Order: sequence, then structure tokens, then C-alpha cells
Amino acid sequence: MSHSQGFMKALKCRECGHEYALGATHVCEFDFGPLEVAYDYDRIKAELTRAAIQSRPQTMWRYRELLPVAGEPSVGRQVGFTPLVKADRLAKRLGIRELYVKNDAVNYPTLSFKDRVVSVALSRSVELGFKTVACASTGNLANSVAANAAAAGLDCYVFIPHDLEQGKVVNSLVYGANVIGIRGHYDEVNRLCAEIAGKYGWAFVNVNMRPYYAEGSKSMGFEIQEQLGWRVPEHTVVCMASGSLLTKIHKSYQEFTKLGLVPETKWKIHGAQATGCNPITQAQKAGLDFFKPQKPNTIAKSLAIGTPADGFYALRVMKETGGSGDDVTDDEIREGIRMLAECEGIFAETAGGVTVGVAKKLIAQGKIPADSSAVLCITGNGLKTLDAVAGHVGQTREIRPSLREFEALRVADQPELVNA
Amino acid sequence: MFPPRLIQQPIIWELGHKFELVTNVRQASVNDEIGIVCLELEGSPIEVEAGIKWLRTLGVNVEPVELSTVES
Repeated sequence: MSHSQGFMKALKCRECGHEYALGATHVCEFDFGPLEVAYDYDRIKAELTRAAIQSRPQTMWRYRELLPVAGEPSVGRQVGFTPLVKADRLAKRLGIRELYVKNDAVNYPTLSFKDRVVSVALSRSVELGFKTVACASTGNLANSVAANAAAAGLDCYVFIPHDLEQGKVVNSLVYGANVIGIRGHYDEVNRLCAEIAGKYGWAFVNVNMRPYYAEGSKSMGFEIQEQLGWRVPEHTVVCMASGSLLTKIHKSYQEFTKLGLVPETKWKIHGAQATGCNPITQAQKAGLDFFKPQKPNTIAKSLAIGTPADGFYALRVMKETGGSGDDVTDDEIREGIRMLAECEGIFAETAGGVTVGVAKKLIAQGKIPADSSAVLCITGNGLKTLDAVAGHVGQTREIRPSLREFEALRVADQPELVNA
Repeated sequence: MFPPRLIQQPIIWELGHKFELVTNVRQASVNDEIGIVCLELEGSPIEVEAGIKWLRTLGVNVEPVELSTVES
């Protein structure tokens, strides 16, 4: 075993099992199946103990042996270990005994869970000798790649649809990234990115670096288990765009169990989507193991992927764990955002509203029993999607600087104050 | 991805005859709802483009193997 590979063994096709060297590649040459990092779990088991983890800094890298870098991470060393909030008020509102919120709305540095996957992808890119990194994104991923590349001194190209809102573009431009707007259909953008990755030999975080990139999501699951006191939660609700995060949370539970870091137990993983883009939950509810592509139409833009790359695998995880899936309308998404904000003081982006809204549905349906315990994965910050809730969360009321006017306003709110 | 109405049509055979393309199915999943085929196309870039364009006019959804490279 060469130590230049760290604890990784190879890239392995998820379909046929064919193994490849640990380079910048992501598709099996035989059946075009996705490649995944395979690890040497025996060596990891000898080194990764609870005590070892607890002795390390509180970042996602405290689980370094289970993340796909050969040496010390060089990008995003501060990322992760976001709060796991015991959400008693929200639990009461949703009607469940115990509820936790894993709050990646405050992930460092760009306020979304993407910092996890990007720091892994860029650290590995540096190890493989890349000087230029790139991605195609409409929001969170672009921000994270731009910020983390800037901090690491890497050249960065971000490809976006040409008609993306200015606010989202600023969050990438500010870091000095080359932001390229592409005039074309979604699938044309897909193909261009694949061609650029091939021709220029750049590290495209979610194309040729995808096997490493995707593994970063596991750190959210590792943290949940440690923060719960080294146990796997009974129920986990995860929002789905490509479906990758859901599969990786499941993998994190499997890995900790396999390594003896948590007791063996059964868990259920539930998937959440917006009704305006629900290829995965639609298939889940129909009992199918494949999905039909859709054209997204939802305020949850960060989940709007009509042809989810990991949809098939996400469906399998939900089925295998006995979990379920559901989707919520734009109004239910806004209600979810408000419930989380009003009960726990956490302002999530629209994807978080999807997770809360779907959790509410699943609890009401008994798919997450009222006497059980659940974790909701919140993946991004509400400051990023202000437009989605503006005009739906009430309005300010104006008065002159007069105590009498203020008191009149209070009495209007609460007539019982008249005689107080 | 083939819509149901095309499932009885020998599209891959036609693709190989209408255009100067060698087709090779690497993976496939077909049922009465939808057909998803991973197809390798070998030929000049012009023929590949034309073939893909023809597939799209039939209503077949064509994507590179990378699937969704655009993320949120």
C-alpha cells in the first residue's frame, strides 16, 4: 500500500466494480457507471477511534481517514462541524418527540453544505497537480468553488447560465473568479463543461473530480453521529437535488457502523423534494426504481435538477432503509422556512423549507412516528434566497415617533391590553 | 431517454443506418414507461452532431454521460 494514496485504495465502478487508479476521472470505461472511492477500512479501523477524532480540531477534517485525500487537506481546512441544534420548539410544532437540526446554513466560508464537497474536491485537485479549478453552477456551488479557490490561490472558472440573477453572480465575482455566462440550453451547458474538462485538463469539481467531491458530503453525516453522542439517528430527512447528499449521509452511517464507532442499529433515510421538481420522490411514491426526467419549476432553485445524476441510488437507499420520500409546494416551502425561523431562529434557504415541509408531512402521515427521533439536514442559508420569501413573511408597520401611536398599535394587536 | 411511444421503434438501428455512426450499447434499462440507454457513438463530430439532432427531433432526451454537470 502506497502512502501517497492515504487510506484510499482505488476508484471503483458502482455498477461493475472495475477498479481504476486514483486520478481525475469519474466514469467507468466499460459501462459508463459512476466511479466511487474505495477505502482500506482495515487500516482505517486501526487508526480512527473516537478518542483520535475527539482530539482533533472541530472541522470536517477530523474524519480525514474517511475522506478522499492522500495527505493533509490544503483547501478549506476550517470547513464543517456546524451546530446540531436540539430543536424542541420545532419538534412540538411538528408533533414529534425529539428533533434535531443539522445547520449547514452556517457552514464556513460560504454558508452552504457545498463548502464540504468543494474543500475535498479542491484539496484532491491540488494533490493531483491541478492549477485551475472549475464548475458549472447556478448558485451555492459556484460561490463555494470561487471562495475556496481564491483562498487556496487556484485559478477558477465558473460557468453559469447567461440569464442568472445578478445577485447570485456577485457572490462568485467578488472572489475574483472568471465567471462565464453561457447562452444555451441546460444540456448544451452540460456538454460544453464535459468537453472543457476533457480538453483543458482542468479540475471540474463535479465532472472529473466528482468521485472525490461527492465523498465530502459524508462529513455532514459523520458530524451528526458524533454530535448525537456517537449514535445513528432513527430518522434523517435530506433534501435532494442530484440525490448525492442523501446517498452519502447513508454511507456515513454505514462506515461509522462498520468501524465500530457507533452501535449497530437500524435507520431510515427520507428524501425531500419540491413538487415543482420531484423526479425522485415521484418515483419513490410510485414504487419505481427509476425516475422520469422533468423540467423544473420551483422556488427551490438549488434543488431544481430535472435529471438527477444520483436519483437511482437515492431511490435505492430510501427503499433499503425503509425510508420514504415526499415533496412540497412553493407555499409549503415558504411555510417550512418560517417554521424553522420562528421556532429555532434559523433562517434557511428554500431547500431548508423543503426539508422542514416534507418532515411535517411525513410526521403527519406517521411515516416518521410521533414517538421517534429525527434529524433534519439544513443545507444552505436563507440570506441567499431572500427573493423567495420577500413579501410572504409579513411587513413592517410604520408609526410616527410617538408613544401614543405605538400604544395604539399594540392595542390593535391585543385588544385585551386596553384595560391593562 | 426514450419516451414510451418510441419504445417499439428500432431507433438505434436507424441511427446507425441514417448516419455514419457506429453505435454500441454499454448499459440499458427499458420497461413500458421509459427506456434509458447508455450509447457510445463513434464517428466524425459532424455525424455525431447530426445523429444527436435527429434523435432529439424524435423526442429522445440526449445527454452526455456526465448527466448533470450544472449544480445549484
